[in-house]
Amino acid sequence: MAEDLQHIHKQVDEIISNRGRTKKSLIPILQDIQRHFNYLPEEALQYLVEQSEITPENITSVATFYSQFRMKPAGRHMIKVCVGTACHVKGAMQVYDSFKRHFKLNDNDLTDITGTYTLEKVACLGCCTLAPVVQVDDVTYGHVTSDKVESVIADFESQVGKRGDRKQFRNADGSEFQGEIRIGLGSCCVASGSEEVKREVENTIIGTGINLQLKNVGCVGMCHQVPLLEVIDEKQNHKLYAKVKPNEVSGIINSHFKPKSLLGRLKAKGYSFLEKMQSDESWEGVERYALDVREDMVSGFLDRQLPVATEHRGVINPLDMDEYRSHGGFEALTKVLGMDRQELIQTVKESGLRGRGGAGFLTGLKWEFVEKEKAEHKYLICNGDEGDPGAFMDRMILESYPYRVIEGMLIAAYAVEATEGYFYIRAEYPLAVIRIRQALINCREQNLLGENILGSNFSFDMQIYEGAGAFVCGEETALMTSIEGNRGFPTIRPPFPAQKGLWGFPTLINNTETFAQISYIIRNGKEQYCSIGTEQSKGTKVFSLAGKINRGGLIEVPMGITIREIVEEVGGGVQNGKKFKAVQVGGPSGGCIPASLADTPIDYQSLTAVGAMMGSGGLVVLDEDDCMVDIARYFLSFTQNESCGKCTFCRIGTKRMLDILNRICSGKGTLKDLDELKYLAEWTKKGSLCNLGKSAPNPILTTLKYFHEEYEAHLEGRCPAGKCTEMISYTITDDCIGCTKCAQKCPVDAIKFEAHKKHSINTELCIKCDACRPVCPVDAVKVL
Amino acid sequence: MIKLKINSQSIEIPKGTTVLEAARKLGINIPTMCHLEGTEHFTSCMVCLVKDAGNGRLLASCSMPAMDGMEIITDDAECLESRRVSLELLLSEHVGDCEAPCQLVCPARMNIPLMNRLIASGNFSKAIEVVKRDIALPAILGRICPAPCEAGCRRKSIDEAVSICLLKGFAADNELTTNKHSVASSSNSGRKVAIIGAGPAGLAAAFYLSKADHSISIFEKNEKAGGDLLKIEETVLPANIREIEIQTILNSGVAIQYQTEIDKVRFTELQQNFDAVILATGAMNGAMEEWGLTLSKSGIEVDKKTYQTILPKVFAIGNALRPSKLAVRSVGQGKELAHLLDEYFKNDVLHALPERFNSKFGKLIETEYVTYLKESNTNKRVDASGGKAHGFSSEEAVAEAKRCLHCDCRNPESCKLRALADEFGAVQKRFQYDDRVLVEKEFVSKKIVYEPNKCIKCGICVRLTKQHQEAFGFSFIGRGFDVRIGVPFSESIEKALEKTAVLVAEKCPTGALALLDSEEQL
Repeated sequence: MAEDLQHIHKQVDEIISNRGRTKKSLIPILQDIQRHFNYLPEEALQYLVEQSEITPENITSVATFYSQFRMKPAGRHMIKVCVGTACHVKGAMQVYDSFKRHFKLNDNDLTDITGTYTLEKVACLGCCTLAPVVQVDDVTYGHVTSDKVESVIADFESQVGKRGDRKQFRNADGSEFQGEIRIGLGSCCVASGSEEVKREVENTIIGTGINLQLKNVGCVGMCHQVPLLEVIDEKQNHKLYAKVKPNEVSGIINSHFKPKSLLGRLKAKGYSFLEKMQSDESWEGVERYALDVREDMVSGFLDRQLPVATEHRGVINPLDMDEYRSHGGFEALTKVLGMDRQELIQTVKESGLRGRGGAGFLTGLKWEFVEKEKAEHKYLICNGDEGDPGAFMDRMILESYPYRVIEGMLIAAYAVEATEGYFYIRAEYPLAVIRIRQALINCREQNLLGENILGSNFSFDMQIYEGAGAFVCGEETALMTSIEGNRGFPTIRPPFPAQKGLWGFPTLINNTETFAQISYIIRNGKEQYCSIGTEQSKGTKVFSLAGKINRGGLIEVPMGITIREIVEEVGGGVQNGKKFKAVQVGGPSGGCIPASLADTPIDYQSLTAVGAMMGSGGLVVLDEDDCMVDIARYFLSFTQNESCGKCTFCRIGTKRMLDILNRICSGKGTLKDLDELKYLAEWTKKGSLCNLGKSAPNPILTTLKYFHEEYEAHLEGRCPAGKCTEMISYTITDDCIGCTKCAQKCPVDAIKFEAHKKHSINTELCIKCDACRPVCPVDAVKVL
Repeated sequence: MIKLKINSQSIEIPKGTTVLEAARKLGINIPTMCHLEGTEHFTSCMVCLVKDAGNGRLLASCSMPAMDGMEIITDDAECLESRRVSLELLLSEHVGDCEAPCQLVCPARMNIPLMNRLIASGNFSKAIEVVKRDIALPAILGRICPAPCEAGCRRKSIDEAVSICLLKGFAADNELTTNKHSVASSSNSGRKVAIIGAGPAGLAAAFYLSKADHSISIFEKNEKAGGDLLKIEETVLPANIREIEIQTILNSGVAIQYQTEIDKVRFTELQQNFDAVILATGAMNGAMEEWGLTLSKSGIEVDKKTYQTILPKVFAIGNALRPSKLAVRSVGQGKELAHLLDEYFKNDVLHALPERFNSKFGKLIETEYVTYLKESNTNKRVDASGGKAHGFSSEEAVAEAKRCLHCDCRNPESCKLRALADEFGAVQKRFQYDDRVLVEKEFVSKKIVYEPNKCIKCGICVRLTKQHQEAFGFSFIGRGFDVRIGVPFSESIEKALEKTAVLVAEKCPTGALALLDSEEQL
């Protein structure tokens, strides 16, 4: 025990010496402690108090506020079930329940009996196109259904021993360039196995003499087709392969490139490679997914888009600075340094760019406010605390275009004379943190950060601040107080951050996407930017398109495009031929826009007019199988969970609305409940302190407005979409062919195993996990 | 300097002044709970919302800096509604009783827990004073009352109810035997009240009206005062007890005429000669219709809240309204009417006595017994060894009084939540959709009590412990709806509040933190 204590003290000492001993280091210190011990041991916290200026009150209030921190040890491996919007509509809760059953867990203890696995829900992993998504430690599994729990665990366990055993890619001699292979390394791509594909490419070409450049590129946006592999051959022909599996890689390479020598061939992969060269067998499998950029599917996805923040998507290696430069990178910064600040701000103002974080405040005006303030220090913050479930724009931009964001920040810093900058990035985005960290190092080496940037008299540097898991920290006052080492309690505005921000100094906070648009404006001029979009909403908007859509992914479209155009043209329509019902725009602050309003243009005013809001840019497509009351309940349980708990209207108002929705979803609602729900929604909107509470009722108000009949059906005990488990039951029709698949899948033996006989479901035992329905080959399992 | 208008009144104030401070300078009251002078503002309770007339938005006045040209409205319907809604939201999770269930079911609303505590501490004279605030005939009722209070007593669900009725009788007997009889007051308000009937209702009205310095004349048709009390057997209610207690009331400057029947003519005269006439006649008399009164099936028709009959100066109480065996109800009505008339005489308007807001959480569940017994003991109910008519000895009374669970709140008068709920007409049940949480009580250093489920999460205690540099202090724990105030690490509250225990209890806007021996209703 004494040794344990000594070890703890030693660790804490080390952490303090790295991070500092004042309150502002508290969150990073706690993150380090947890990284080391897998939770926050009280001995460590007490020792921290002894050794620093941090008080017990600071620690407790912070450690219990952020969802990242655990006060009790967890299992050796964390299973994170994403319950973001896209995952939710695709059955994430059933997956979660299935894991719970698998490990025999109860709500009070989510660690299995052997202490190996701890199960938790996470708000959104930002891999919406792979929904439902489960992460086991750092391995991400996509399209997980409730019956795949065992295979996920089995696969993970087969992987565990192999970690770190990655074969390095060996560069070819370089004398002769035969072509290039590009592999997407955004989170979605990685999650869908692009690392394995990359390794397989390396393995395949080792020693073959094929002289290829293997290039990692950021997110291409076509997340519905990941992993993507693009081959550019000697003649500069591009060919894009989608949903590539590792075992298909050699076939692809073989079809484009020939090994230089027979020896090379033999050295390569022995017979198997030679065999594949001569056989079409493995090739067919790949062909199914082979895409040509000219094909409709791809052009539909790309043609309506207009990349500004995501310019040069799929072309640039995120961290390759030379490449960024060769595509005009840092030109805008060079142009700006030495420019008159007022003129610069005027340019941004006149470009019409509005904040992309949701509220849509004129960016140039915000800059002007900060510029006007006279102060010894001024801070600049990039808000990358993208917490909306169903949104992953910031993650993609940070991962794929780190230099563009940094350039935008540098220009802003110059404009407002900021002295120090922060990247606030949410904890769930480790890859974004890694990329930005490296990008900052690279920038410092190139004198793009630090003293006298590029020889000018402008000095500026920035650092990363990792969020610790609190949606409310996307709110700017909460975000700043969080950097200061506090609970993320928002405060009243005024004072606005522009006057009194971080540590009381004027502070400019812009959203990641906003910064990513700046260099375009400077390089191409405000007129060109202005020509994109509508009268009131200029430029483009990045959306994460997910849900029941054929082609989900990161999209960037001009303002003014209609919802219908996005869903039908960019997204290729609703999956499986189902009927388009609504889009959820703007996450928990936004609303549900019904299919009947699909011609609503995407701009700030139009979205607000229909009761939604731009939000940060989540677009989740819903089809006829989605229950709108359930969607409202889903968002409310999110905001209720994420409410900071400070002001009465949000803290209790959201809980009471959730109480009513739970009652309605369980079939116990009354007509009066609808009135009360509306009343509470209106008061929570009016009375809450910050925008989290003020916008939390939007999903309720819009569904009440556009889908009132669904609420009424629930009052009568019916859930038309068949989602609300307390109102539905499962049955097997006479179409049953007695194949026993459903019985095999049933986790609670509610279906008796009787080969070649019509099966039936014991509704007493049935837990409505939906495991049986999708496996039936003849669609005989029905929801009543 | 900044110029703004609040409720159309202009004011000039230095920069940095909040809207709340500016309003207070104008004498405009805006309620607050989470705000405490001398600590930084926090903006959590949201009862201080005011409207910015410029854009119609509601702002938290306690922390919103006043700005040039602002036009603020603090009292329109929307502002008032916002206060009510925020209070109702806070009340929906407030698990506590302002007053104990026994007191709420007592028809006379006697402050039973306070009496119990006074008896338990041996302060018998104060105990009877408390009893007599509500019950004019405690020695009598201590013997004959069917004690609905005991049916409401929380102790009943644990073992047996506290013997409240006998305790009240004990307190009264104790005073009767020490001969501390009330003496007629020398001052006189100049208002005259005629009371017809010297039963429990009439006597109670006479007692409280006379205490308020009004002249009382009772007209009793029998040769003795007491009404239905005279019919009770000696073994239950010894005559000497009855007589001494009634006589005490009559001695306090009340004029009584025995064997005086009131007829229609006398009745009209009384209305002319007195400021008010109270009919405490017992079961109704059919002839009263001819007097100009309206009757229902059960008795004289009155306004349920003011006891006023169709004749403006005439009031009716007790069995004249409805036959009942509950003397305590008649006594309670007598008291209520007396207070009502006293107000009426002072202000010339007749208003029903306001029903105070009472937070209630219903029955205790078994797991909560332990929490409640922390304030009591597990002893069995004490019987009066000499029988009910004889009453408790001092030792018995003290022992029995100690069984009381202190169900009532320690801060019923200073609690801002209660006062504001009263002021804005908040209804506790409005948003109570969920099951309540368990009652918790923590006793700290024999100085204060912490009841977390009465907390409104205003953070005043957190700010105070920080300000006074407590080594541990209080901290917010968790977030969202489940946020609570607690102590860092596994420390005790004692350790957390080494310097500030009394201070935080004094500044708590509700009864979540209270001084252990707080007696606000003494």
